[in-house]
Amino acid sequence: MEASDLGQLLSAKQDRRIRVIENLLRGKKTVSTLYWGQRYHLLPLLNLAKQLDRGGLDNAVQELQRRHWLTVDTEQKTLRLTNQGAQALAETPTYQPQTVDQWVNLDIMAARQRLLLAVQVTSQYAHSTARYYPLATDQKTRQHVRQWFHSAKGPALASSLAQALVTSLAQLPASTADIMTDQFTGFGQPGLTLDQLALAHQTTIWQVRLRQFDGVTQIARDARHPEHPLHDLLGPLWRVPISPSAQETLAAVSAGRDLQQVANRRQIKLSTVREHLLEAAIMLPLTDFPYDSVLPQSVRTDFQAAVQGNLDDWQYSALPQAMQARYDFFYFRLYAIWRIKQEVTA
Amino acid sequence: MTETLTASLQRVFGFDQFRSGQAAALESLEAGQDTLAILPTGAGKTLIYQLYGYRHPGCVLIVSPLLSLMNDQVDRMRMNGFKRAAAINSLTPFGERLHILNHLNDLQFLFLSPEMLSQSQMLDRLHQVTISLLVIDEAHCIVQWGPDFRPEYLLLGAIREKLNRPLTLMLTATAGKQTRQEIAKQLRSTPQVVTESVNRPNIFLDVENVADEATKQARLLDLVKHLQRPGVIYFSSKQQASDTALWLQQTAEVRAAAYHAGLDAEDRFKIQQQFMADQLDVICATSAFGMGIDKDNVRFVIHYHLPADLESYAQEIGRAGRDGQPSVAILLYAPGDEQLPLALGQSNRPEPDTIQRYYAHPTSFAADDPQIHLLAFYRNHGISQAAVTRLFASRERERNHALSQMVAYAKSPTCLREKWLQAFDEEPPAHDDACCAPGNVPLDLAAHNLTRQAKVLTPTATVGWQERLTRLF
Repeated sequence: MEASDLGQLLSAKQDRRIRVIENLLRGKKTVSTLYWGQRYHLLPLLNLAKQLDRGGLDNAVQELQRRHWLTVDTEQKTLRLTNQGAQALAETPTYQPQTVDQWVNLDIMAARQRLLLAVQVTSQYAHSTARYYPLATDQKTRQHVRQWFHSAKGPALASSLAQALVTSLAQLPASTADIMTDQFTGFGQPGLTLDQLALAHQTTIWQVRLRQFDGVTQIARDARHPEHPLHDLLGPLWRVPISPSAQETLAAVSAGRDLQQVANRRQIKLSTVREHLLEAAIMLPLTDFPYDSVLPQSVRTDFQAAVQGNLDDWQYSALPQAMQARYDFFYFRLYAIWRIKQEVTA
Repeated sequence: MTETLTASLQRVFGFDQFRSGQAAALESLEAGQDTLAILPTGAGKTLIYQLYGYRHPGCVLIVSPLLSLMNDQVDRMRMNGFKRAAAINSLTPFGERLHILNHLNDLQFLFLSPEMLSQSQMLDRLHQVTISLLVIDEAHCIVQWGPDFRPEYLLLGAIREKLNRPLTLMLTATAGKQTRQEIAKQLRSTPQVVTESVNRPNIFLDVENVADEATKQARLLDLVKHLQRPGVIYFSSKQQASDTALWLQQTAEVRAAAYHAGLDAEDRFKIQQQFMADQLDVICATSAFGMGIDKDNVRFVIHYHLPADLESYAQEIGRAGRDGQPSVAILLYAPGDEQLPLALGQSNRPEPDTIQRYYAHPTSFAADDPQIHLLAFYRNHGISQAAVTRLFASRERERNHALSQMVAYAKSPTCLREKWLQAFDEEPPAHDDACCAPGNVPLDLAAHNLTRQAKVLTPTATVGWQERLTRLF
């Protein structure tokens, strides 16, 4: 990731921890990463740069520092843009994805793999090519595309797929449609690499990837329509953005059991139950979480009296002793999440 | 099988004739002889084991060193109609690995990395399968890569014994007498040797002396501008390959791309396909590029860095001129260039006192250090400190000797082909004008039909994405 790309993920009004951003991009899902990812409004980027190494953003940080675009608090390991940096970044063209609110609900990486192979297979089929090199993908992708192709192939497939893709991409900026089209491999078209796309569009690889995520999500969204040629291939990649185990915990708690009961029944630790619930609270909309039973009005009232001001400055250790004795960190954190969701809803 | 080899060739591939070397290797295998086939790049080595696999029941087991290449090889097999092919290496996801292992009896061809093959569970599983043929692909790696890179290659002899000595085919493009002996010794076999000359008369050999790095770059640019395309430029560093590709694109308007092991599978696939489709003029590559690239019309291969030995050099220049048309192999040499291969070799090799300290306190070293990893490998296989020290010392002498041959080639004032072929114990043909230009002789591109005819580029009308997308289907 280049300096300007990282700069777009920082703020002049909020201190942001570099490790949180790194872990978010690499898909290291801890409650802390998710919580701060939400505070930074960066949750949609979860898992979207899996190939990033640990410390993989450090060069970009140094470059931003060199330009005096940010200041580093070495003790807290937080970054903040300078006014100069914020101004410069505001003038740097950056892509604004249109589908970003859907990203956590779709396995974008798998969807992209399936889409690329499906386009290649259909393109070669349309040109009656029997022998060609299939794109290098994992076996799962190959299996799903093979199954899909087996039932979808027919004289109308190529034209209906072409039509569907044109319809989806036409809803996005032209540069996104360009990049989506040129990355495809098919008959007479080897397809362009990320580097080549970035060079052709005079932009960075990350900006190309943002367009790819946007394009793939748009296509997958349109494919939810049962008549769409990719319906059976991409439909299953829509998901609830929390782990199956957390879903189970959430269901049990929503059914009215108390947390210790759920832990006993599921044979997991109470602390795991709480982690599951925090993950669910962060990732799901306000209405999909049983706040009224887990965080009753009386608890909210207690916290309301105890903590004020900027959410980012709240600290559990700064709570009055009586509050700390009555409530674990779990309730403190859950209350903060509930407050954030209130702001979003308002 | 009663069908003749030629009839099988016709039935499976639709060809009437074998290329030279193929028939001899197959006849030797059909006679039940282990075979070492030394055939130049492009001679069609894969066809030998494909046809053997077709003619005999059981599974052909292929040990292949390059992970990134294995899946390409499987795709290639499938394209040729051999659908029952699969590959397992350290990059294969667990589920996929399991699936392949559960269907081993249905496979006709299985590609394995040496690391996978040396795992005992894998060996146990393979015991339950009939192995019709064991293929050691790129067999020179036993010698070139063995002690300081892929020690598992050294276990292949023992593994072969454990598999009850299946009929074995060793394949390589280049191997002098000493390498041949070493391959046979490591694999505990006395193979029939099938060999074709490594000489490639249509490749003009050239060494260019340059004063320093800046002159080298300037000369590279000049060559790329004037040489017939397409071509490949080899580097020892991934970063330099990438930087140069970008630089050539921007300064010389060359359609260039980098290819190395640092790219992901999708990018490697696309670059290869672009090159095959003549959409690229120049590939800036590391040694990861080449094995398995079928492109006939490569007109030049330039080496920006000095290779570590003549065998690697011969492999890499062998990618030029497979169509038999005039082509050129250029080595750019600046004083001191031997330092880089020397350093790369040394960085893999532990010093005697490291060996001693490791053997004294094996647990106090970090296992993720490649040198320690290597030492742990030997120690775990019961090899003593003294033997390991000797092994590395003798390996160093061999490497230094191989490098000195390469340097002698670079510095030779007389016929380069003679220097090259002599290293492979071959009698060189008489030198003539179409042979070579050593460092003291300037390269005359025009005289050798190597000059690029500037093409008038007809500007292609750019069409909108809708049309480009629709054209795909």
